[in-house]
Amino acid sequence: MSESTEKKLDATGLFCPEPVFRTKIAIEKMQVGETLTVSADDPASEDDISRWVTRTGHELVNMSKDGNVITFQIKKVK
Amino acid sequence: MLSRVGNTSLVKLDSLSHNNIEYFAKLEGNNPFGSVKDRAAYWMIKDGEERGILKKGKSIIIEPTSGNTGIALTGISNVLGYKVEIVIPEKVSNETKEIIQNLGAKVFETSDDLCPKVGAGTDQSIALATSIASSRPDTYYSPNQYANEANFRGHYEGTGPEIWKQTEGKVTHFFTGVGTGGTITGIGTFLKEKNPNVKIIGCQPQQNHLIQGWRNFEESAKPDLFLKREHVVDDWVSVDNDEAFSVVKEVFEKEKLLISPSSAAVYACMKKYPIEGDACVVGIFADDGRKFRSVYATQNVMTEEEFDNTLKEAKHMSELAY
Repeated sequence: MSESTEKKLDATGLFCPEPVFRTKIAIEKMQVGETLTVSADDPASEDDISRWVTRTGHELVNMSKDGNVITFQIKKVK
Repeated sequence: MLSRVGNTSLVKLDSLSHNNIEYFAKLEGNNPFGSVKDRAAYWMIKDGEERGILKKGKSIIIEPTSGNTGIALTGISNVLGYKVEIVIPEKVSNETKEIIQNLGAKVFETSDDLCPKVGAGTDQSIALATSIASSRPDTYYSPNQYANEANFRGHYEGTGPEIWKQTEGKVTHFFTGVGTGGTITGIGTFLKEKNPNVKIIGCQPQQNHLIQGWRNFEESAKPDLFLKREHVVDDWVSVDNDEAFSVVKEVFEKEKLLISPSSAAVYACMKKYPIEGDACVVGIFADDGRKFRSVYATQNVMTEEEFDNTLKEAKHMSELAY
């Protein structure tokens, strides 16, 4: 995967379910195979985003935490 | 245009009136944006302005709704100069979403798979609207019709006194459905202050109903606004989808009115509720049938062709401001 296909979404400062909603909209606008990096700091987003990714059949490539900020790398599969 | 909010007509229903009992329908479709929700929207926006929460050119109004409140808030905000964002369940009819978008609101659609823990349908929309507003309190104002006292006041100070005056104080029974509870508690409280013997009767749809804007209290929670003055309701009547849809054509044939599913449900309740002696009965017809062409075709009430002919012949249809 090249850098040019990587998209970013900053959802810090937003409360759930808005980070999931923004993630959904961003993924809908992407091409299959592209990756979205989402950062969020609402603790509920850890469960909400990872569950949404699984439910909708995309791939959670990586999830990491740095202090309060959780970073998700999501690959659009279909 | 906003002076046209309220003061809707009260028309006699000859098909139900007999002997010493007169029946009337309060035609809320006469409001400029086509429904009873113009009142709540107008009063909630005015209240936000008076309390200094809403600022022209700065504030964005955001509200979760399944239809009429979105249309009313957007239409009225256009006149007053506010931006509007509406959060709506994706399964709401395209006709409704298109009206809201054409009026200029930004529409966010929520689906039940977004965040299953908050519930389904409008519960998803409420959660998203709340989260958007709470992270940007300086920009967003969410009126929240389910808890906003201004929604009650619009009926307590508007619709209730109108009914009292239009019936010359003779009203004895009042029928309406319950969505937020603003209509039943606002009108009910006013009428009971004027005459404690007035009977306030709530109409309850079946579970899984198709009556847009209503709540069945076995499947949905009672809103805060309703709970505050629940005691004004004297009695409840249940009505199912079939009973409601079955009177749509009858009301057109007998009264020349093309009514909405919720108005049909109120009519069906008034028709079957036993009343004796002299009486003056008023029911709320929250909107007219204009938006329900596809619903009536799907429910086999009438074909789309029949609908178009009915629309041409119908009396008292709304003169919409959009």
